[in-house]
Amino acid sequence: MHPILKDRARLGTYLLGWVPVALLLLVAGRTLGWTWLGSTLVALPLAILGSGLFLTSWHLCRAFPLERTQGRGRWPAWLMAALVLGNLWAGCGWLIAWGLGRFPDLKVDPRAWSTPWAFFASMGTLLYLGSLALHYVLAALEQRRTSERTEQELRVLAREAELKALRAQLNPHFLFNSLNSISALTTLDPGRAREMCVLLSTFLRTSLRLGEQGSVPLSEELELARSYLAIEQIRFGSRLQVAWEVDEALKAVAVPTLLLQPLVENAIKHGIAQVPEGGLLRIAVVPHGPYAEVTVENPVDADAEPPVGLGLGLQQVKQRLQGCFGHHTYFQTRIQEGRHTVVFGIPREPKEAQP
Amino acid sequence: MTERTYTALIVDDEDLARAVVREHLAAHPEFTVLAECANGFDAVKAVSERKPDLVFLDIQMPKLDGFEVLELLDPQPVVIFVTAYDQHALRAFDVHAVDYLLKPFAADRFEEALQRAKARLDQGSPTRLHATELSGSARGDWPLDRIVVKDGAKVTLIPLAKLDYVQAQDDYVLLKTPEKGHLKQQTLASLEQRLDPKRFLRIHRSFIIQLDRLVRLEQTETESWVAVLQDGTRLPVSKSGYARLRETLGQD
Repeated sequence: MHPILKDRARLGTYLLGWVPVALLLLVAGRTLGWTWLGSTLVALPLAILGSGLFLTSWHLCRAFPLERTQGRGRWPAWLMAALVLGNLWAGCGWLIAWGLGRFPDLKVDPRAWSTPWAFFASMGTLLYLGSLALHYVLAALEQRRTSERTEQELRVLAREAELKALRAQLNPHFLFNSLNSISALTTLDPGRAREMCVLLSTFLRTSLRLGEQGSVPLSEELELARSYLAIEQIRFGSRLQVAWEVDEALKAVAVPTLLLQPLVENAIKHGIAQVPEGGLLRIAVVPHGPYAEVTVENPVDADAEPPVGLGLGLQQVKQRLQGCFGHHTYFQTRIQEGRHTVVFGIPREPKEAQP
Repeated sequence: MTERTYTALIVDDEDLARAVVREHLAAHPEFTVLAECANGFDAVKAVSERKPDLVFLDIQMPKLDGFEVLELLDPQPVVIFVTAYDQHALRAFDVHAVDYLLKPFAADRFEEALQRAKARLDQGSPTRLHATELSGSARGDWPLDRIVVKDGAKVTLIPLAKLDYVQAQDDYVLLKTPEKGHLKQQTLASLEQRLDPKRFLRIHRSFIIQLDRLVRLEQTETESWVAVLQDGTRLPVSKSGYARLRETLGQD
């Protein structure tokens, strides 16, 4: 929508800007020897006409946005439009003067108008250019405001995804199943029961601590995954094997907190737990250009119908990545030969990460 | 008076979870554990072959979940669900489970469940429902995403996306996929209840089709229509089926 017309205050200011123009025209009329009334009857309509006519520079402003079109291409367009509309405007002035010429009392003489034609035409041309400049400024302001708004919306989305992720963090079924395993072990193998109590406490304590932070070193996320998987290995026994492949140099990279955990939980819930013989869960962190690339790979039931689109958990991880890193990240999933893989990139430069 | 003995089967994909049940059950010499199963397929096979009186059944398992296992068993054994998920409790009552134990459970809670199971077993067979009754009862509330079929010892899962149409054949339904047809003991009406009406439509007393398989309708004579499916199959459309089709497709 037109940036001036949509806002009353702006429109008022813009019209106020035309008052000096009207006064100038009035003086010009007086100089040509027209009566006060005659001069006013020319100046007022012409100023009003001009204010409306030059609003059309908005279209030119939109056709040649400053940030996209480059170089000189737009200069001829600007000048041409300014000359045409400037002369058109001056022509309208002559038409009004010609009309008023029928009333001799006003002493308005159209011939007196055509003599200083160049004056009126250049005045129109300059006014048009001025209006054009104004529109460019307004468009730039507008754009900044929208980009600020989208950025803010993105941040809100990321924040929401974060909160949801944290809330889902205390996965009750994981707790109940672990407690059930402990309940079994108390008579079967008291030592392991105690070990599992300790593992479970470590996991809970770590996830509560991480939940309070905005971003943490990748090493902390990996530690959490390690303690989680140690518990699940007791639960699933030989069905769960875990392979780690972590580049030590990347352990310090900053990541949004509890980003990895939902992926690892997914790998168990929708992967290992659905395959009778279980399989290998692989977690890898390797350098990939300016990114630390994280991979979580797990077997899936080959007979099951592949899911349509991303599940809620994966979607939240993707949203959080985008919210934190904008375009400086990527996130991909695929299912191939009975294995589900999630791959994403985190910028290695810590500056890029926002808390 | 000698006490009656019972046979039991434990189904859970986690070793430790099975161990807890086994341990609690060991305090009751009148119960003999016939077998333990780690997934739904094995459970269906073991129950059919060994006919236990009582089954301890987990719900979340690979391949077949506990409800799908139950659906494939005919006649139905007495079942105690053992699960960490409390949201399936209502559905468990619908399939006439004796009890629903939440993991981890206390010893006296297990006792209670076992006493209930014994009481039902001692009543004799009337509580043993048959699959057809079961699928025709209050099961309509739980929408399907796949259909389980048992053919002899073989269990097949049919994802709904693969289903072209369903044909009623007496007490059975014929489930037609591009590869083959599967017979299942169920009525067309009870199956219809559990299918998404936006995806599946009953076009005739004996036929339900997956709507996106429909290519066109042909008029054979006045008030008589034939549905032509993607693979060229021609199925009769009844008058009320035609009205339903028009209503459903007209909304798009």
